[in-house]
Amino acid sequence: MGADLKVIGNADQDAQVECQIRDLTVTFTTDSGEFPALNHVNLDIIKSKITAIVGESGSGKSTLGLAILNGVAFPGKVTEGSVDFAEHGNVLKLRGKALRHFRGPVVGTVFQASQNAMNPLARVGKQILDLGRSHHYKDPRKLLHEAENLARRMAMDPSRVLTAYPHQLSGGMRQRMGIIMALVLKPKVLLLDEPTTALDLLTQSAVLEIIRSIHRERHLTTILITHDMGVVAEISDYIVVMYAGRVVEQGSTHETLRDPRHPYTRAILRAIPRLTGDLNRARPLEGSPPDLTQIPATGCVFRSRCSYRVPQCDLVAPILESVDTGHFVACHQEGLIRD
Amino acid sequence: MIEVRKLEKVYPPVVGGLLSHNEVRALRGVSLSISDGGALSIIGESGCGKTTFGRILAGLESYSGGDIAMDGIALNSLPNNERQPYFRRIQLIHQDPYTALNPSHTILHAMAVPLRIQAKLQKKNDDWVLKRSKELLAMVGLDPVGTLYKYPHALSGGQRQRVVIARALTVDPKVLVADEAVSMIDVSMRLSILNLLSDLRVRLGIGIVFITHDVAAARYIAKDGALCVLYRGEVVEYGQTDEIIVRPVHPYTQAMLSAMPVLRGLEEAGPDRYIPLEGMDDFEGEGPGCLFAPRCRHATTLCQEQHPDLVPWDDRLSSSSHHHACFYPIPRNVVARPINRENAL
Repeated sequence: MGADLKVIGNADQDAQVECQIRDLTVTFTTDSGEFPALNHVNLDIIKSKITAIVGESGSGKSTLGLAILNGVAFPGKVTEGSVDFAEHGNVLKLRGKALRHFRGPVVGTVFQASQNAMNPLARVGKQILDLGRSHHYKDPRKLLHEAENLARRMAMDPSRVLTAYPHQLSGGMRQRMGIIMALVLKPKVLLLDEPTTALDLLTQSAVLEIIRSIHRERHLTTILITHDMGVVAEISDYIVVMYAGRVVEQGSTHETLRDPRHPYTRAILRAIPRLTGDLNRARPLEGSPPDLTQIPATGCVFRSRCSYRVPQCDLVAPILESVDTGHFVACHQEGLIRD
Repeated sequence: MIEVRKLEKVYPPVVGGLLSHNEVRALRGVSLSISDGGALSIIGESGCGKTTFGRILAGLESYSGGDIAMDGIALNSLPNNERQPYFRRIQLIHQDPYTALNPSHTILHAMAVPLRIQAKLQKKNDDWVLKRSKELLAMVGLDPVGTLYKYPHALSGGQRQRVVIARALTVDPKVLVADEAVSMIDVSMRLSILNLLSDLRVRLGIGIVFITHDVAAARYIAKDGALCVLYRGEVVEYGQTDEIIVRPVHPYTQAMLSAMPVLRGLEEAGPDRYIPLEGMDDFEGEGPGCLFAPRCRHATTLCQEQHPDLVPWDDRLSSSSHHHACFYPIPRNVVARPINRENAL
């Protein structure tokens, strides 16, 4: 193992790739046919950076998160492609014990709605010890010590939260416990699926602040899956915009927000009301979010909602091409999109 | 004109059993008014009483104290059965359009049930019910013929929310109370639902009470209206929307506004923005002082001991409607500002 992963066109010369996704295709087989939830996704996750994967419902962002863990379950199936981690090779080939030792110790995950994922009948501290046991952790005291440190780091009283039952903690505290459980085995990659969706505004900003500082402290590679452009803009270094199972734009967050090149990215940024500035600038995006059962087999997946549509969009699916160093867009009309 | 005076709601304590809890004071003397065709946004965290307020307005919940007056008629003076027509003028739009429609009935059925009652009252026939259903669906931007005979599962979240709004319009309401009406809808569809609500306000003269935790959406709806900040059942700041956003004086409003994410690259954070790491846990206890004092970084002993009342903020730059409940009101600039550039979106 130990595939040598090359960085493709990144502005940052020192950037190293932690995880390389190539041609990843995930198909869901149902009674009414086969639907691609992910369609030839190519992606480099840069080491020690926060990469945000953003999209609406049906964009395939959560499926991508599962695929990174080799966790796509029936009726979904990985039909093509690979997910290579720097020191672990193609994760999609891992089975049994090797896979168990990958999930957790290598990639710590906080799943969607994880604040409700804890066992209501066991104290939080015991659940952390269970975690250590199932990963053959030799020294339980060290594990608890680590959990205590993390709890303190997240502005919680360890003696209180570790002896509490989940129902005795608030939503924000449970969410932070979820992050602690993902980090206690000291993974190098942290995968967060909608980590702040059910939280209040004040709690959300505090949790994001904590994610940011722990990320920096431990040099984690963080993958953040969300639908909230605000969350992306607030903490991520790189952004990957997904639509109907395809990556339509990716690049550094700052550059992509400042100068979005894909019509979808532009439209979605314009559709977010702002706190200051002219409200009349906000424009709604026409049409409905992608429905997996109705994604056209040929051509661009976004064309039905696109105002830059040309006949070519019906025939040929645009491929992700570099428009600038480290900035990729999948659009035929990219060069023409200007106000 | 709807006037709410010193509205109180106390959920009584439950003693014993698994679900036992202390008395919950959801609303502690909230006074607000909604003018005809006006817009009011109420913001606050979960548990601040904003949903309870909306449910009381719509007549779905009783209140423990205070009074509601509609067009000058105090509802407390009316017997229960005469209050109902007044509450019918206020319709509630729920947060979750996925559970607000019965999955086993068509959209026509959802629309026809309230419309048949209206038809009876107005002495109209069944054709009118069908005609009116189509009219209302067209009004909320749906294709009437294509939608009427569909079941809810065949519609997207945004379309369902439009159906829910159309159903609320069947009783010709004077006010729509939208409780987190866009928080479960995909980002790309949110703005069009907000536009629909604003559009109904202009076209039908319906007042909008928009309840949310998303300050930007609150601003979008009430751009020419008022913004009210609730904290633990109390109004802590109130005034013209943009004034509250640009020059908030209450530390809680400032905390809420600071917590709004900054779109880096397009916006820069306000100079006074401050995000506390602690202070996000529940504070159940309450002393005699300001309810926000335990979480407030500017609190003094005065704040712990005395309770601040809602008073006008008198400052040369502020308008007369700006009220706050803080002993040390200081305007702070916490919200993000757009970065000006030529190719701005």
